Amino acid sequence: MMEYEIPLLFIAPVICSLPIAFAWVRSPGAKWAEKLAYLSVFGLFISLVIALHILFTYQEGRYTIQWLPEYNINFVFIFDYLSKYMGALTGIIAFLIGVYGLEYMKGDYRLGWYWFFFNMFTASMLLVVYSDNLLMLLIGWEGLGLASWGLIGHWFRDDDEISYVGTVGRKVGPLNMFWPPSMGGWRAISTIRTGDMPMFFAVAAIYALTGTLDISQIHWGGLFHMIGYGGTVLLCVLFLMGPFTKSAQLPFSEWLMTAMTGPTTVSALLHSATMVAAGTYVFMRMSWYIQPWNLHSMPGVEVVYIFVLFVGLISALYGASVATGCRERKVLLAASTMSSLGLMFGCAAASYWFGKFAILVAFWYLITHAFAKATLFLVAGHLIHATHDRFSCGDLALAKRMKVAFAATIVATVFLVGIPPFTAYWVKSGMDEVIHHIAHEVGMAPLTLLILTSLLYSAALAKFMSQNFIKGPGYHLHLHGEKLMPLAYATMVSMLVVLLYEILTGTEHVAGHFVEMGYVSSSFIVGLGVTAAYVIGTYKPSISALSKLGTFLSDRMEMPFLNDYIVPGVGWVIAWLVGLGNSAIDWFCHRGIPSAFNRFSRSIRSIQVGYLRVYLKIALGFVMLVIVVSAMGWW
Amino acid sequence: MEAVVASILLLTVAAAVSLKSERGAIWLSVAALALLLVVPRIELLMYSMLIVAIALINTASLTVKRNQITGVDYSLVALIAVATMYIAYTNNPAFILAAFVLASVPTYILVMVGDRANVNVAIKYITFMVLATVLFLIGAFLLFYTEYYPSEILYTLGFVMLILGLGMEVGCAPMHEWVPDVFTAADPLPVSVIASITKIVPFVAAYKILILTSSPLTAHLTLFVAFIAVVSMFTGNIGALTARETSRILAYSTVANMGYIMTTLVVLSSQNYLYLAFAGALLQLIVNAVGKASFFTSIKVDGTSTPLMYLIAMSFIGLPPFMGFYSKLFILMSLVGAGFVWLAFLLIVNSAISIPYYVRIARSLARPTIPGRATAIAFVASIIMLITVIPPNWFVDVATYLIGGV
Amino acid sequence: MILEFLLVPLIAVFIAPFFRPKAATGISAAAFLVPFVLTVYGLAANRVFEEPLIDIVKPVGTFYLLGDQISFAFGFAICIVSAMVALYSLPYMVHRFEEMSYDIEHEYRRFIFLFNLYATSMLWLVFSGNFILLYIFLEISLLSSFLLIYMYGYGNRRWVATLYFVWTHIAGMLALIGFLITGFDNGSLAFNGIAKIGFAAWLLIFLGMVIKLPGLGPHIWLPWAHAEAPTPVSALLSPLTVGLGAYVILRVYQIDPWFIKEYMVPIFVYGVISSAYAGFAVLKQNDYKRLLAYSTVSQMGYCLIAICLGSYGAMAVVIQYISHAFGKSILFMTAGGIIAVYHGLRDITKMGGMHEQVPTISNAALIGFMNLGGVLTVGMFGEFFILKGVVDTFGFNIPAILSVVFVFILSGFYGFYTLKRIYYGTPKDYKKARVPRLLDTPLYIIGVISILFILPPLAPLLLNAIKLGIGGVIP
Repeated sequence: MMEYEIPLLFIAPVICSLPIAFAWVRSPGAKWAEKLAYLSVFGLFISLVIALHILFTYQEGRYTIQWLPEYNINFVFIFDYLSKYMGALTGIIAFLIGVYGLEYMKGDYRLGWYWFFFNMFTASMLLVVYSDNLLMLLIGWEGLGLASWGLIGHWFRDDDEISYVGTVGRKVGPLNMFWPPSMGGWRAISTIRTGDMPMFFAVAAIYALTGTLDISQIHWGGLFHMIGYGGTVLLCVLFLMGPFTKSAQLPFSEWLMTAMTGPTTVSALLHSATMVAAGTYVFMRMSWYIQPWNLHSMPGVEVVYIFVLFVGLISALYGASVATGCRERKVLLAASTMSSLGLMFGCAAASYWFGKFAILVAFWYLITHAFAKATLFLVAGHLIHATHDRFSCGDLALAKRMKVAFAATIVATVFLVGIPPFTAYWVKSGMDEVIHHIAHEVGMAPLTLLILTSLLYSAALAKFMSQNFIKGPGYHLHLHGEKLMPLAYATMVSMLVVLLYEILTGTEHVAGHFVEMGYVSSSFIVGLGVTAAYVIGTYKPSISALSKLGTFLSDRMEMPFLNDYIVPGVGWVIAWLVGLGNSAIDWFCHRGIPSAFNRFSRSIRSIQVGYLRVYLKIALGFVMLVIVVSAMGWW
Repeated sequence: MEAVVASILLLTVAAAVSLKSERGAIWLSVAALALLLVVPRIELLMYSMLIVAIALINTASLTVKRNQITGVDYSLVALIAVATMYIAYTNNPAFILAAFVLASVPTYILVMVGDRANVNVAIKYITFMVLATVLFLIGAFLLFYTEYYPSEILYTLGFVMLILGLGMEVGCAPMHEWVPDVFTAADPLPVSVIASITKIVPFVAAYKILILTSSPLTAHLTLFVAFIAVVSMFTGNIGALTARETSRILAYSTVANMGYIMTTLVVLSSQNYLYLAFAGALLQLIVNAVGKASFFTSIKVDGTSTPLMYLIAMSFIGLPPFMGFYSKLFILMSLVGAGFVWLAFLLIVNSAISIPYYVRIARSLARPTIPGRATAIAFVASIIMLITVIPPNWFVDVATYLIGGV
Repeated sequence: MILEFLLVPLIAVFIAPFFRPKAATGISAAAFLVPFVLTVYGLAANRVFEEPLIDIVKPVGTFYLLGDQISFAFGFAICIVSAMVALYSLPYMVHRFEEMSYDIEHEYRRFIFLFNLYATSMLWLVFSGNFILLYIFLEISLLSSFLLIYMYGYGNRRWVATLYFVWTHIAGMLALIGFLITGFDNGSLAFNGIAKIGFAAWLLIFLGMVIKLPGLGPHIWLPWAHAEAPTPVSALLSPLTVGLGAYVILRVYQIDPWFIKEYMVPIFVYGVISSAYAGFAVLKQNDYKRLLAYSTVSQMGYCLIAICLGSYGAMAVVIQYISHAFGKSILFMTAGGIIAVYHGLRDITKMGGMHEQVPTISNAALIGFMNLGGVLTVGMFGEFFILKGVVDTFGFNIPAILSVVFVFILSGFYGFYTLKRIYYGTPKDYKKARVPRLLDTPLYIIGVISILFILPPLAPLLLNAIKLGIGGVIP
């Protein structure tokens, strides 16, 4: 069973998307070709079934398929707590969003491309999730990057304002503060490549040093001991470049904001629920086996975890603040996603001091966040569809017309921000507890960052809810009687209830622990604060007195300058110098030398005057000279 | 040996017959050439076949257009061929020098015939030739003299004069002044002979003489040879770069080629690789002879078949699998083997400089293929260039045999 | 056995011109697929073939055909790329002849002769067991490619062709002198007869091959030649020919690696600088083919980097050659596709959103750049081995690590940046064109192979063979 199931898990979605991909090349836009999308969703369904099967029936353990046995590199699949849940999560979300996409993407001009990359993404994600081998993980990882690029730039024509990010025509200084899809794709892939290559190096280095690439088999303590303090820091930081860029941590956050130029389904699946979470997931998976809590004798490891802790939490605060200033539906959600990812990093990094439980908290937060944020994105997509506007707008009248969306939004936001006694409250309590616990090792700064983030985060999501359904600006509504889309996000949001049930009843052994932490009074105080922030955000989604600050925040604190001005600027200067160098070499080799030869050549031929006496003078002169010199030389 | 004597006799008859019938003269010349093929050894046979092939090409070139002495000219070519063949047999100093003169003198006549017969050119040519011959002969005498009465200064002088004479005879810089003028101003058909087969004998003669009289002093004197060779290569190749007339380019190309061949004489200082040096020199001479004959004939008829012209040009550049590659390979091998890596390096620099103008020659002579005598000549030349598709081991044997007897 | 297989394309060289263009193309492509089978067999067979041809005078030694894993790996890439480009060249050259107003049928005979000669000489080159034999094929490939550029190139084609000829001829001749010195030192130039290679010889060979490869400085010939060559020729020149410089260095390295080991650091630095330099140059190009040419320089810098990095580096050279061959041939063919369909359109500033008009070509270009960047294609192993080699050789040397990583990032950058410039964004006002099937299908065949190479059974087939070839010394 296993030997068929596991390859099928990855191959099925890709194979099932090929028909529509090829059909679209032959006859783009044909009705029959559009029907093939159902086949691709069927491929996602197969993956989902297998992932669930793995979740419920597989023993913990590893499964190997031969790949490069000569090199001790194989396809090694691991089934442990993290991968089983993450795989099932990916399967469910991908399938639900696939169903949503059937309706959302109807009539699109590039469905072959869309479904191919969508399904390839799912396969890659599952590969990342289940892989124990780092090289195999990298294949999935590269697949994620590629799919993300392909899907962000899906509407490559840049002809529809609805697919842009930022206010079209707005400039700050020399920069255009709006980004078309093709630009979004380029920003995504360039950032991700920047991170992937150092990570690739780290993987190769691990292979060079240990001779194996199986995360669970490497003797990490021995490895860190071997390479010493500097080596550990270097290796880990280079490795983490991959997760950091993929999970859009500072300073690599910009691409995630402009990734919103992709279709909303893509934002929901890739840029909130799964792909960006893959960075944190990989960090958790590595920490799970590195077991940093056992490596306190190695100072390098501590430095790395402190680094991750602060990068994560600072990014979280940054993301949450930016989210409060955003007016675009999807960008707001993207910023808040970045914030959540930061929290996951921060919390997982605390495992160095707190132990394995910190990873579990972060992981549960990942799951909660994935369902909630995917729901919000799907709602946002529906709203954009219905209002033809990517900026927040809507009021209670709209909420009445779109009851399911409204309800889903309320549930998702409330369950996600950490209002007691809903799902995220318990998970966040765990997080508060973890960060609080490490205060005597790293001080109060992390806790402060965490609480600030939680408050702002709550306010931002409340703003999203309020501005779209209660107090938003005016709008034009064009409902088309969508069925699948509400169905998809309603199902999605109901998953949060399932999680809540798991936590409260304690049927899931890890989740049960969160309840204890939720009863700690400090957690409850934070919960109250969050609730207050949510209420304020709902009541006053925009404060005109703070519009300057809002603009600064929605310009993402001028971070675009890094991506669009400083880095390219340096690049162009070098490219310009290189261009000069090329012209110089070119001129020297292909103008200078030949013209020197030409001059030389003409001077050689200038002695051909045609007079015999001249020739004789030269020739005989030479003969005499040589004879004299040789006679003298002999003497 | 007897065959050579017989063919000389035949040629005498041919010259007489030519007054009556050109056809008869041709046939007799060809018969004389055919007689040269009667040789005792396989190595000599290969050599004579190549020489006869070149002579036939040259003869064929002369038949493209009638000239003042049509009939006699065939015999003159055959005479040079006989001398070229003859020098292979002999190690006798007197015979070597006789062959040298024999190969040189017919060209005095040839240079004056053709459509563009021009006394001025002829005077330039003959003046230089006479000077060259004198220098060469004096040098040779001095060298032989030192064999019996050793004297370092005389040896040095003899060596230098021999090389100077050789250089002037074949057109090495800086005594090359006559070459561009003669090649450009004279009729291309006789030039196709002058630039071709006549270059072989002087070099073979020089080789034989220098080997016969070799002395430890040679090692010092090779630097002088290298100097002439390098100057010649650079002058020829660079001079050709901007020359416009095809015949002028070819003239400079000759200067350069003579430079390449001259480099091989430096290997005299270390006898181990002499056979390679001689093989390279001889093969380069053959390439030069075949290619130049074909090019000059093409100039006369204003171009021939495109692929053939390119093929010959590529052979001159020295690309495998053409013969021009192997000649350069042998030369480079001998130079590297004898420790003259710097000279080898300069040779390849020159080889690269030569590319543009050879391509230009090929392009300026390239025309659609139409059957004709010039095309046939180019075709035969191309075939000869292509016989080295199978690496010419045999040629090294030939060269070794030719100088081995010395 | 090798000889028989290699004779097939050689015979095709002389037979193909006698057929009409369509048949001639078919014959050529089929003729390269025959040795392709051999190479696959050779990779799997785990043994070394030696077939003597002829003995040559000392110091040249024996000419023999050598089929070891390295030869088969290089031969593999050469066969498949040549076969596909042969198919591609039919519609392309017909377009080119029309443009030059030549008689198509007549001109195609010449073209296919030279084309086959060119590809065949490269194939024979990698099976040559003697440096002189190798040099001969190097020069034959130079000659035929020169003529192809000279006759059918673009722009100032005669000048460009001559320039190309001069540069690469110098390169070849320098190496030749190096070979000869080696020959005199060892008494033979057959691979199996050489024991040591002296300084001067190594230096000359290395310099020659750096010109050919090309490294920074001599690289200046390459953008001219590769941009102005007719596209099928560019699609062999850039993917296959220049990389043969790396092949020669690798062979010499296998025989006597002391030079590279001794001068590891300067060569490594030089490789990094060339690669980065050319990578930046790519960003500024406005001519599609010229852009690709600079990218070739950048990619060949990888080979220079890799050769310094021990045995994994040497393996990376082979993989890098293959992956670059795949990627760059696809890319040049996409450039040619646009040229053929839009009558000479090469200026990138006039492109943009071309995915709208030529989606198949655009997708192929994506696969091509994936190969260059090592994304999900065989190039991934190349990069992996280079990175491993860096650790093996330099340990945790931060400048070395960062420079290599930077170079790799740069490749991905210019790849996707170029894709964005050419294929995405607001479409320009071109009519949607029908792309002839032979102008895009061959690209996908190469692309699929390049992707299949990261999976079993092809990945272990190739990597195990290369490991054997590099680890196992040449007998």
